[in-house]
Amino acid sequence: MFLMQLDRVMGYWPVLLKGIAMTVSLSVLSLLIGVVLGFAFGIIRAGRNRTLARLLGLYVDFFRGTPFLLQVFIVFFILPVTGIELSAFTSGVIAMSNVAACFIGEIVASGIKAVPTGQSEAAAASGMTRAQQMRHVVLPQAVRIVTPSLVGQFVLLIKDSSVVSAIGLLDLTRAGWVMVQSIPNGLLVFGIVGLSYFIICYPLIYISRRMERRDQSTIL
Amino acid sequence: MIEFSNLNKWFGALHVLSDINLSVAKGEVVVVCGPSGSGKSTLIRCVNGLEPFQKGGLIVDGTELGGSEARLRDLRMEVGFVFQQFNLYPHKTALENVTLAPIHVRKLSKVDAEERGRALLAKVGLGDKMGNYPHQLSGGQQQRVAIARSLAMQPKIMLFDEPTSALDPEMINEVLDVMVSLAREGMTMMVVTHEMGFARKVADRVIFMDRGAIVEMASPETFFTAPKNDRTRDFLSKVLQH
Repeated sequence: MFLMQLDRVMGYWPVLLKGIAMTVSLSVLSLLIGVVLGFAFGIIRAGRNRTLARLLGLYVDFFRGTPFLLQVFIVFFILPVTGIELSAFTSGVIAMSNVAACFIGEIVASGIKAVPTGQSEAAAASGMTRAQQMRHVVLPQAVRIVTPSLVGQFVLLIKDSSVVSAIGLLDLTRAGWVMVQSIPNGLLVFGIVGLSYFIICYPLIYISRRMERRDQSTIL
Repeated sequence: MIEFSNLNKWFGALHVLSDINLSVAKGEVVVVCGPSGSGKSTLIRCVNGLEPFQKGGLIVDGTELGGSEARLRDLRMEVGFVFQQFNLYPHKTALENVTLAPIHVRKLSKVDAEERGRALLAKVGLGDKMGNYPHQLSGGQQQRVAIARSLAMQPKIMLFDEPTSALDPEMINEVLDVMVSLAREGMTMMVVTHEMGFARKVADRVIFMDRGAIVEMASPETFFTAPKNDRTRDFLSKVLQH
């Protein structure tokens, strides 16, 4: 019985593979955009313009404080009302990049604030512009400080991508739903789906742990 | 070269610098001492614009402080600053610490900057430590890298903010030696320090500060042998007894 079901699941491998491809491409694209945007957010949030920092803080808190599912719905169902038609994939990428940028931005800001002020003072004293101080002195150190938390955040975001199945994208989670329609063994199907998520995320978890260990052994 | 006129600074209600009048000539070495909290660090941090002030004027190398960011950056290229805590860049090697500003601020080529950097590190006695990261160096070595880093910009003025206070006693001299040779080469220097031996050896003038004001200013001989002010005498008796 079990073997028969396993055999049928294996027959669905193109669906499973499609789901994995969707989850991976959605995650990679969103994380790339999220990292770029998130660094910009972080620099502003830790920056000297406090008004701008607070305004952005409000925006960030809104997205950190509302369910991701709701955000996906807003992009997918509500933006079209204002005349912006988006495909499910684009909607997914927009919602996910945005929430990624919000979380990554706060992590980057905390890293920038953790770099001692003497560092930017030394750089300023040698005549560097603010941008040069940030690029050559502060950011490289901030990145080292926050890399383990950043990677941890990536894992959370990849798992959150399962939410986009709600707007009809055939991601890994939805592939599970499709399979379970014809194979009445939820444990088996979603066990395989879960294992697939784990295989995608584990390398990141592993890297993050390695880096945390390295961080403890070499003082900055 | 450095001209304070009636400079005043407040941190909130605290009057940290009051009516500072001081002029430092080219090639002069001025040592600033005083009890902690007397405003001596704040004083030299004003010279390269690390601290803003509220009243009075300060002209350094012909530039009036308090102007635009761009003019402040131009001035900072001419004024080296050495910190108590070294503030070396921990993610860069000794040589990279020394070449960073020359490359990005002076726009030197990497080759030229490295040539200059190697010469300076050799000059401060660290020719064999160029590839080391700050955490692989002792405190005295780190401070010498920091001095080389400032010198790499070929400044006209060097400011030292308690450069030996964070060092173990046995490392103080290696740093002071570098500073003494710099003074003998004719560098214009303002040095906040309690190293009275250094002051005796190379200072042209010694300034004593207390509660934000310059209390006494004299040549080293007069300062150490015949201080006029009670507070100076009191301070000297504390720092000179050991």
